[in-house]
Amino acid sequence: MNEKLVDSVKETLELIEKKNLEGDVYGLKEKNISYSIKKGELADSSEYEDMGLGIRIKKDGKIGFGYCTPGEEEKGVRIAEELSKISPKLELRLPKEDDTPEPRTFDEDIFESSSEGAELTQKVIDGAKSVKDDIIPTRGSLGISDSMKVLGNTNNVLLKEKSTSVSAGVLTTIHGDKTSINASESRSSRKMDLDFIDIGKTAAEKVDSLREKSELPKGKIPVMMNPDAFAMLMWFGIVPAINGENIRKGKSVYEGRKGDKVASENFNMKDDPTKDWGIGSGRFDDEGVPSREVQIIKDGFLNSFIYDLKEAEKSDTESTANGLRGGFKNPPDISDRNIVLRGKNIDREKLLPDKGILVDGVMGAHTLNPASGDFSVVATPAWLVDDGEIKGKVEGAMVSGNLPEVLETIELADDHKKVYESIGSREIKMDLPSAKLNDVTISGK
Amino acid sequence: MSLKSIISHMKEKGADYCDIRKEKWEQTGLTLKDGDIDKATSGKEEGAMVRVLYENGWGNIGTSNLDELEEAADRALSMAKKSNEYKKEETGMADVDTHQEKVEIEMKENFLDISIEEKVSFLKELEQQLSEDFVRSTELIYGDRLVKKEIATSDGTHVEMKIPRIVTYMIVTGKSDTIQRASEGIGGTGGYELTEKAHEKKDVVLERLETLLEAETPPSGKMSLIMDPHLAGVFSHEAFGHAAESDLVSTGNSCLEGKIGEKVASDIVTIKDNPTMEGYGSFPFDDEGTKARNRILVKNGILNDFILDRENAWKLDMIPNGGARAEDFRVKPLVRMSNTIMEPGDMDFEELVEEVDKGVFAKSSGGGQVNTGEGTFQFNAQEAYLVEDGEIVKPLRDVSFNGFTLKTLQNITGITKDMETGIGHCGKGQTAAVTDGGANVLISEVTVGGRE
Repeated sequence: MNEKLVDSVKETLELIEKKNLEGDVYGLKEKNISYSIKKGELADSSEYEDMGLGIRIKKDGKIGFGYCTPGEEEKGVRIAEELSKISPKLELRLPKEDDTPEPRTFDEDIFESSSEGAELTQKVIDGAKSVKDDIIPTRGSLGISDSMKVLGNTNNVLLKEKSTSVSAGVLTTIHGDKTSINASESRSSRKMDLDFIDIGKTAAEKVDSLREKSELPKGKIPVMMNPDAFAMLMWFGIVPAINGENIRKGKSVYEGRKGDKVASENFNMKDDPTKDWGIGSGRFDDEGVPSREVQIIKDGFLNSFIYDLKEAEKSDTESTANGLRGGFKNPPDISDRNIVLRGKNIDREKLLPDKGILVDGVMGAHTLNPASGDFSVVATPAWLVDDGEIKGKVEGAMVSGNLPEVLETIELADDHKKVYESIGSREIKMDLPSAKLNDVTISGK
Repeated sequence: MSLKSIISHMKEKGADYCDIRKEKWEQTGLTLKDGDIDKATSGKEEGAMVRVLYENGWGNIGTSNLDELEEAADRALSMAKKSNEYKKEETGMADVDTHQEKVEIEMKENFLDISIEEKVSFLKELEQQLSEDFVRSTELIYGDRLVKKEIATSDGTHVEMKIPRIVTYMIVTGKSDTIQRASEGIGGTGGYELTEKAHEKKDVVLERLETLLEAETPPSGKMSLIMDPHLAGVFSHEAFGHAAESDLVSTGNSCLEGKIGEKVASDIVTIKDNPTMEGYGSFPFDDEGTKARNRILVKNGILNDFILDRENAWKLDMIPNGGARAEDFRVKPLVRMSNTIMEPGDMDFEELVEEVDKGVFAKSSGGGQVNTGEGTFQFNAQEAYLVEDGEIVKPLRDVSFNGFTLKTLQNITGITKDMETGIGHCGKGQTAAVTDGGANVLISEVTVGGRE
């Protein structure tokens, strides 16, 4: 199957070269096996296997894109050629070398354990049921995937990379007379190192801690966010602001602010796909550009933005290896790959505010204004923090603020987590700790 | 081998139920940024999803390799057997009428016959109409897709459908003391003729951006809320509709569980989900081959029905109503909405505003999220106005509000006569094309989140 993909990419490149055109071909083969949890049991297992090609050609200085499945290479090239007619002229400097780093992204254990998914899903269920009898893992899933991508271009570059991933998540519920309460836990990894029982147990312990209610404090008070909740805000609020195209077009709050202090001291944000086992790590991006570490914010100062090949040309800079496709059917676009956030590494317990709330999840992060960074999200589940101690659940808390302003006084803990979320054809891939947001407003019931 | 033969083969091997959904996709996408084509994509693909139920366990295989469909079905059966080893709760499929039909949704103007150059000209013309001093950047997205489906089930249904969908999005960005953006989507199930509507909406998106550039941050706390028809539709979809999806009801993840026949909203509220009306979420048969029909979910405040696929209808002892939809052949169908509408009432807009002492008039959705089990929701409005003493006072930006679904539905105290619909893409692990609609709706109390 892998040979079929490589042969198809090579054949397509030959077709492009025969026409005396330039171009690149992105081949992707994916296999995903998933198991779903419903009402405390494994409910079903699903599998899909997919393979396709994304073809980009340059004709008369114009870029065209088409996609097809192996065996349909000629049609794919014809579509790309046809679509090039309507595009504006643009120089696209396809990479020439394949001097790429080699982060570890393929785990033989995952590859070989794909038939054990049902047993692993049962472990998540057992973990969730081990805490209290009335806690039910009502929904959840476990997914095991392996993929291979092949990137070739008319500069004689032919790159291949295999990768694996495993993820599991579960929602635990306690049913009451009138309403129910729930909490979830999800984890992802590129290698088979997840503790599946602990995933279920953690979700159950979270929901168990929500039985008692506390009064919601309001006004300008600190909010401590666990990594999953913090990742959602950062991805919807800051990632669009570091996109090179948004900078060039004046659609980012960071336009003209390179070199400025934009975050608290010790706040470091980089996009680093060169790290071993990073959720978004890889040897090269989906345009064949060798991966590199991009230091976006260094010690609180804005240092760099992210670019794909096309935007690099328009912005008169070079690609930062941030061209991703989101599957073979889409042309490359600027995307973050493996965002790593680090701060002062303060002990998480010590970072809890004297008076504030602790937030494990947010509803409505996608409604954040990506141009201004203004946000207003519902914190759920969330707990009162009083005298640095976690108390009962608080309901209906809305947390509002402006994320770029919030970063100026933010404090980061030492509990790093790899967060993965799929948002349509895009993915959140971050490695980050809990954070204390000091400049936000809480309103609610 | 025909789908029917593969299914017969599966039954012989012990499958209790089997269905196969074969799909062919043909689609084009264009993105015009600031007047230039930024992305143009086109392609075709095909594949199939085989589902097998063995006793209580399911096995589902999605594949783009149609030459090995029989092998995929065998694998689905062995996965179903494996699932059954872990599954204690009984599973079944509720009975439905079987159908042998070919249905084609009409395109008055077939988008496959329109040249790519003409589609680009349409976007460029639209872009020129968005050229105003206060607009800093424009992004226009066009997409069309024709999906041919063939669905066969072990109960004897064999339906073939052609469903064309088309969509255009307009996004404009401007800058005053902050950067603001406004957007509007237009589309439906049908042909190229639906692009005409885009020209009608360009003024809406321009006025929205101009208003946002002058808008102030909202107050926070409890207050009244008037939702415009689009937002009322999104509220009906997000806050209520998801909780009415039978897969969430049957697994204990809905605040509507066990409430059929009970009062869940004020008397003036009627909500339906109707895949047979004109809309972006329309279809003649669902992805299990069940004939689509209108679902009256709430009638005059009383919970009347859920959105039901066959398995969850069996679990809840109800009648399936065509609620199973899959994003494409790679995935199994889930219980999904189609065109969700809150029926209009009898008030005028002025009467609604007069009833508000302090509140917000919120227009057009900026997105939302819901916790169906706990029955809570969060929404964002693209455009909003402060309302004081029965009058609209000033524009606001970045207005979000939240509340408890059942309490909020009871707090609806007025609905106007005028109905409008809008389009959207619903995410539930898979994307589904939907229409949401309603009239202007007054909620006596929600929590508005603001920075003041």
